[in-house]
Amino acid sequence: MDSLGRRRFLSKAVLGTTAVTVVGASTIGSFAPEAVAGQRPKLDVEPGAPDPNFVDGRVRSLGKGELLVTSADRSMHRIHLTSATSVWKLRPTTADAAKVGDGLYARGVRLPDGTLAADAVWLNIVNLQVHITSIGRTALHLDHHGDRIVGHVVAGTTAAVYNSTPAVSDLSLLQVGKHAQVIGAWRPDTNEVDLATVYAAA
Amino acid sequence: MIEWFAGTQQFVLGGVLIWASMFKLGRRAPVAARRSALRKLVGETRAVPAYRAVGLVELLVGALLVTPPVLVVEAYLAVALSVGMLAYLAYAKLRAPEAGCGCLGDKHTPVRGRGFVRAGVLLASGALAAWSTAWWPATLADAPLAWVAVVVAQSAVIVALSPELDHRWLLPLRRWRVRVSHPLARTPVTVPLESSVQQLQRSDAYRSVVGALRSDLLDSWEEGRWRLLTYSADQDGVAATAVFAVPLDGHRPQDIRVALVPESGEVLV
Repeated sequence: MDSLGRRRFLSKAVLGTTAVTVVGASTIGSFAPEAVAGQRPKLDVEPGAPDPNFVDGRVRSLGKGELLVTSADRSMHRIHLTSATSVWKLRPTTADAAKVGDGLYARGVRLPDGTLAADAVWLNIVNLQVHITSIGRTALHLDHHGDRIVGHVVAGTTAAVYNSTPAVSDLSLLQVGKHAQVIGAWRPDTNEVDLATVYAAA
Repeated sequence: MIEWFAGTQQFVLGGVLIWASMFKLGRRAPVAARRSALRKLVGETRAVPAYRAVGLVELLVGALLVTPPVLVVEAYLAVALSVGMLAYLAYAKLRAPEAGCGCLGDKHTPVRGRGFVRAGVLLASGALAAWSTAWWPATLADAPLAWVAVVVAQSAVIVALSPELDHRWLLPLRRWRVRVSHPLARTPVTVPLESSVQQLQRSDAYRSVVGALRSDLLDSWEEGRWRLLTYSADQDGVAATAVFAVPLDGHRPQDIRVALVPESGEVLV
């Protein structure tokens, strides 16, 4: 099934616009927090030990459905991606978006052969505490502990969260000189990021 | 002409040195000293005394420049101080790039091009001051308007080259400009994906299946007044897709619907 057909099928499944069974949230089962807690898989990592089911590093090469990644400690990891793997690169995207040189975080399940079957992959994601030093028509200029960072505003994607209220697309409440927290996608080997979400006080 | 110009330089350079020394001898000096590259150069314990010593030398040279008599050696001292400053900046840039300059205030600003240009301007100013033949008030009396213009312009240049002082004029200027006309006021109004995800995460529908979710957000699209969000899920060992329908208009987490669709294609309740 192509992606459009798949979307249409899934829309029908949840919205029930055709004969496909309508599944309301309440039909799933108990909403009690205890019921949810019971479903959580137990962490199988010793305190302080590296998590075998997590990898961070830079993409070294791309293969069909897999990425070869080098971590900061120079260890190499082979990461498998499937259609069930979520890939984030500024926004939810597909495995095709991965490029050599991208920074990567991957979470999944370590297979017996040492490779990681990824459930979720985040490319170039950064989380920065900054001061806004200037605001332009297409970018925010940010100071990150004395380093200058250019945060590009991406129309239709960049969102702002003011005072922990729901995210909005309106960026006009951002102010020069104020503190902000920024989630964005780094442009590899530059001091530039594309902004996903800016958290600020207004 | 050059003698007249040299007279203005006595005043400007002397003034800048005295001003700089005030920061180094003031109450906030220990903070600035520890943030500066001096900490790396002379060690943690000697940073504050060294910083104050630099301040004393600046005060001395500055006072010599603005008070009579006019001696050529004063200008040479100022030139030597500027050369030392350039060497210190080069050291800071190479060996302590994270440290501040500590030059004109306690604001933490790493050494960059502007600091070098400023030290260069002061060096040139010291070299010019060596041509002085008379004390600066004589040059002021000669051409008062031109004198004031030169002093104001040069001071403005030095302030503009001082990142430590940006918060006094540059940030207020930018803040004012943004208040008058915000550059990002015209971004198109949309419902950001992030707001749908936030709404979803606060819903009972999400909490009921969160234990089965394996991935982060897989895909999203809009269908009428709904935004659909999908996640990979694992329901009792069966691979499935969790589809959520989140209302696009308004915050109504109680209206969010969910379906678990197994890879085989049938809807799993």
